[in-house]
Amino acid sequence: MLNLNHVTKYYGKYLANDDISFQVDGGQIAILLGPNGAGKSTIIKCIAGLLRFQGEITIGGFSNKSSDAKRLLAYIPETPAVYDMLTVAEHLEFIRRAYRLEDDGYGQTLLERFELADKQDKLGRDLSKGMQQKLSICCGLIRHPKLIIFDEPMVGLDPHAIKELKKLFREQKDQGAALLISTHMIDSVENYWDITHIMVKGRFAATQYNRPEELKTQSLEELFFSITEGGDAT
Amino acid sequence: MNALIYLALTRLKNNIRDLFRKPARLIYVLLLLLLLFLSIQGSGDATLLENTFRDPRELVAIATGLFLSLFLLTVWNGFSKGGTIFSLSDVNLIFLSPIRRTQILFYGLTRQISTIMLFVLILFYQYSWLHDLYGISMGTMAVILLYYVAAVFLGEVTAMTIYSFTSNRPGTQRVLKGLLLTSLILLALWVLWGAWTSPTDRVAGMVTAALSLPVQLFPVGGWLGWSFSACLRLGSWWPGLVLCLVFFLVLLFLLTHFDQDWYEDVLRTAELAQSAITAKKEGTMESVPTKIRVGTTGLGRGWGASAFYYKHKIENRRGGILLLPMANLIFAVVLIAFSVFTRSGGILPVFFFSVYLQLFSTGQSRINRELYKPFIYLVPEPPFSKLLHALRELLPTTLAEAVIIFVPVGLILGLGPVEILGCVFARISYALLFQSGNLLLERFWSGANKALLFFLYFLILILLSLPGILLSLFLFAGFDLSLNPIVRLVTAAIVNIPIALILLYCLRNMLQYAEYTH
Repeated sequence: MLNLNHVTKYYGKYLANDDISFQVDGGQIAILLGPNGAGKSTIIKCIAGLLRFQGEITIGGFSNKSSDAKRLLAYIPETPAVYDMLTVAEHLEFIRRAYRLEDDGYGQTLLERFELADKQDKLGRDLSKGMQQKLSICCGLIRHPKLIIFDEPMVGLDPHAIKELKKLFREQKDQGAALLISTHMIDSVENYWDITHIMVKGRFAATQYNRPEELKTQSLEELFFSITEGGDAT
Repeated sequence: MNALIYLALTRLKNNIRDLFRKPARLIYVLLLLLLLFLSIQGSGDATLLENTFRDPRELVAIATGLFLSLFLLTVWNGFSKGGTIFSLSDVNLIFLSPIRRTQILFYGLTRQISTIMLFVLILFYQYSWLHDLYGISMGTMAVILLYYVAAVFLGEVTAMTIYSFTSNRPGTQRVLKGLLLTSLILLALWVLWGAWTSPTDRVAGMVTAALSLPVQLFPVGGWLGWSFSACLRLGSWWPGLVLCLVFFLVLLFLLTHFDQDWYEDVLRTAELAQSAITAKKEGTMESVPTKIRVGTTGLGRGWGASAFYYKHKIENRRGGILLLPMANLIFAVVLIAFSVFTRSGGILPVFFFSVYLQLFSTGQSRINRELYKPFIYLVPEPPFSKLLHALRELLPTTLAEAVIIFVPVGLILGLGPVEILGCVFARISYALLFQSGNLLLERFWSGANKALLFFLYFLILILLSLPGILLSLFLFAGFDLSLNPIVRLVTAAIVNIPIALILLYCLRNMLQYAEYTH
């Protein structure tokens, strides 16, 4: 579903991503794990088509800049993107209309799952940061995307929303969607992932598959700290 | 060294050092100073034109109005938010330290004065026209600026005091609000009564009322206006200043001796200010009214890129009055008042002043805010289509704004309906031109530092306006020098529109990547 081929990204002279190549298939959850400033958000923004880059990114076989690719993609940014003067329900209506989708009732289901159903007439600016994040997630998922990219999705969420989001990850995976989740919190990854890429200084420092034989030799946490700190996990 | 003095000096030192580390900012500051110098030098020789000056009492009335509105607006905001003299870092670091509260208050007040002083330097640009119209000296201009600072400063301290004493007493707050509002209405009625009782020259009647004792005795704004009249040899300077000083000392005494815990009010305001700064950095900031009437919900229409237009319609409805943000409405009132005082000059001074103010309001349009959100880049529609639909709201809002400004201005200046229509058309053309210039800036220089951006913004908009202005000036010069100014404005408008459209077409792919803009 998602294919990156030798993607390099410079901000001026600063190398943010260096020759990144990987793929995420349908029904797979891939994690980008790395310390702050490792280049996770940059590569995610490149995939979302928000940044220019060298190399090639395709979504469902289409160039990520094309409308066909954008139709398949949902991007949930780290900073919740909501409009101050639209109500919760209007956000979902706006997304539906902008993406030319009829109302199939899924928006209402999402609002209920994320405990926003009773806040449908609340303005975006009146929501707390956690609620804005939930709304941002609903806006991304309402379109039944085939590729979902989350940038630090757990930040600011309450325990119920975190539980619901993790459940949703698995559901989307079961339905055949490809998920790419960026995070710097190892604990939040748990065991629902299929493949984890550890990023350091704009590059992939290691890749680990969620296979018992691999995890038996070294856990994800041990691998992460051996790379980032050059030693074992404490 | 005292911690607060160290903090103040280090902040100052770092600001100056920062100026030299960022040459673009230094160039910008130097350019501003140069422009300021040129604007002061460029003003006519007052002694040569002495007989043509307008009545200096008008200037006192304008200044009194300015001081009053600054003071009252600051105090009014204080009812809900308190004063804004401390930042969140001040609150978190200084308030928790064992430094005496009086010292902290003094530090905050000193910092506030320096902040306002920096801001009002911009007002020096008004010197040129004030000098030409009223023959004021640089000293008088400096007094206006000093009193401006005093009005805001005393407003802040008053707001802080009111909040400290009333934040837990909504009843008292309501009474104070009512008193403030009633006195304001009485003041306005008094000035209107002045106009009513002098039918031959209503402006002179209003000016006389504004210079009378009831206005001069009105707290802070009136006192400062009273004192300012001495600069134009129309009164005595000391009663107003003494009243201000006594007022300040009383407030200080109340704040420091009645064990009012003003930390709470400052914390709330500082948090609000900090969240506004964060939101601005994250691009999520929108200046919205405190209270919004949600009204009818739902977009109802829009499919694909046009959904942006219908979303903007909702936002405009909720974001202001008559589709316009409050700042634009204030600009409209200022322009209408300006036309009263410059009636003899015809439409051109008012129109050019309106275009000047438009430079500041253009950046507040919906598309500028949209560029900070990911949706406009992610929606799978052609970039040019998204751009055009995101610009659609410009037409109804600019039309509403132009009508609100030029219908009353036209009536004041005695213009006919066709001439008013010409002004409306010209204003719309400038809105389109400035918006495309704004997008040009966003497309190529959005990453530049703010100081440089500000400079480039004005430069680009002036350059874009030049063809229209030059053509309207010179094309008809050979035919008829006394040509109706509206014809000149419409000529400029006819040139502006294709320039704006060509520019927009050149920027058609700017929504392809967010990186093109932000």
